Amino acid sequence: MRRAAGFFALAALAAASAAQAEALLTAVSPVQREAYRLRAPVAQPEHNRSTPERVELGKLLFFDPRLSRSGVTSCATCHNPALAWGDGLALGVGDGMKTLGRRTPTLLNVAWSELFFWDGRAASLEEQALGPIASPDEMNLPLDQLTARVAAIPGYQQAFRSAYPDETISPQTIGKAIAAFERTIVSQTAPFDRWAAGEEGAISDAAKRGFALFDGEAQCSKCHSGWRFTDDAFHDIGVPGEDRGRGKLLPQIGAVQFAFKTPTLRNVDRRAPYMHDGSEATLEAVIELYALGGRAKRPSLAPEITPLALSAQDKSDLVAFLKTLTSDDALVALPALPR
Amino acid sequence: MTLLRVLTPAAILLFASAPPAGAGEVVVAQKDKSFSRSEVSLRSGDRIVFRNDDSVVHNVYSVTPGFEFEIKTQLPGQSADERFSGQGEAEVRCAIHPQMKLKVKVEK
Repeated sequence: MRRAAGFFALAALAAASAAQAEALLTAVSPVQREAYRLRAPVAQPEHNRSTPERVELGKLLFFDPRLSRSGVTSCATCHNPALAWGDGLALGVGDGMKTLGRRTPTLLNVAWSELFFWDGRAASLEEQALGPIASPDEMNLPLDQLTARVAAIPGYQQAFRSAYPDETISPQTIGKAIAAFERTIVSQTAPFDRWAAGEEGAISDAAKRGFALFDGEAQCSKCHSGWRFTDDAFHDIGVPGEDRGRGKLLPQIGAVQFAFKTPTLRNVDRRAPYMHDGSEATLEAVIELYALGGRAKRPSLAPEITPLALSAQDKSDLVAFLKTLTSDDALVALPALPR
Repeated sequence: MTLLRVLTPAAILLFASAPPAGAGEVVVAQKDKSFSRSEVSLRSGDRIVFRNDDSVVHNVYSVTPGFEFEIKTQLPGQSADERFSGQGEAEVRCAIHPQMKLKVKVEK
């Protein structure tokens, strides 16, 4: 009798699990998954098509600390491949160990961005690449000095001749070469991608529930959309502070005051702390901010940001999902720099 | 030059079926974070009805000299119209979604 009861209890449990599994599949349709699978080819401007020579030259420049006045800071100092192309700090550190106003953004998948920097002040990657070099707060090397310094190194003369045979060494060609390298910084296949392609066991049930929330009730995908999980747009999500972000460039437009560019969520669990100012230490804290509907309530707060009724289980499921976006990217070999 | 009116979908249908005499009208929808057209040609005095068919808010504006305007935060389902007067080419964008670009050519 007892044995029979045990059998029925087990059968009921199995039926419940099957129903749960079915509910998950219903909640996350193949169509939803497909929306995150389509990877566009790497975007390249007409005037700076990628070639192996350009990428190689850009890599040299990217890792070369002589591109800073002090001679100790390279692009890679802050955009460190060992730290998911960021620096792991709440706020960047510039020339003379000066603390900067914003967190270093990752360079991952930057090839597809529409505008650059947290506030979108650069219209191309070529332009963006020169910004931190010339900024007195960051690498602090005026562009005329940059050109003279690079042009004086014989190894670079040869590399520029190979990469840009019809152009001279200039801030423009230096920016183009760095941009060509940066366009190769692309996230690879993550467990989420394998699941989206149909491998059911690639992610946990918690992560599947998290994705259903992310793309459904919690509405995260309104902004974190597409395979890069970003809309490249500017939103005030209620991070406290005085930094007006995009609003500094468009002071007349109320909607972009305190707005910053939506970051990609690829490899996001490797990039704590979070937000444009590093004010949220963990992914759990970020989700708490969204559950509150933002911590700072201002007229510019994006209408999409509203309080969310998330249970502890929901929050933990969202984190489980976010962790499935991390790919096991190949290590970057450091180049020997020309002398 | 700014003439901004927020219209209900019913009002748009009314305008679409019976445009005011002497003023042309073009509807440009916003959907999937894109404008439905990349370029529009108008005669001076014509209007564009910007209709938000998206599931997110938009904020259409232009800072082209002579054509400055801003349709402030536009919720899904809302429409607003803007009259373009003069001559030239205006670049219209969404302040929130920078990939949304619309070229408006205005002739006398």
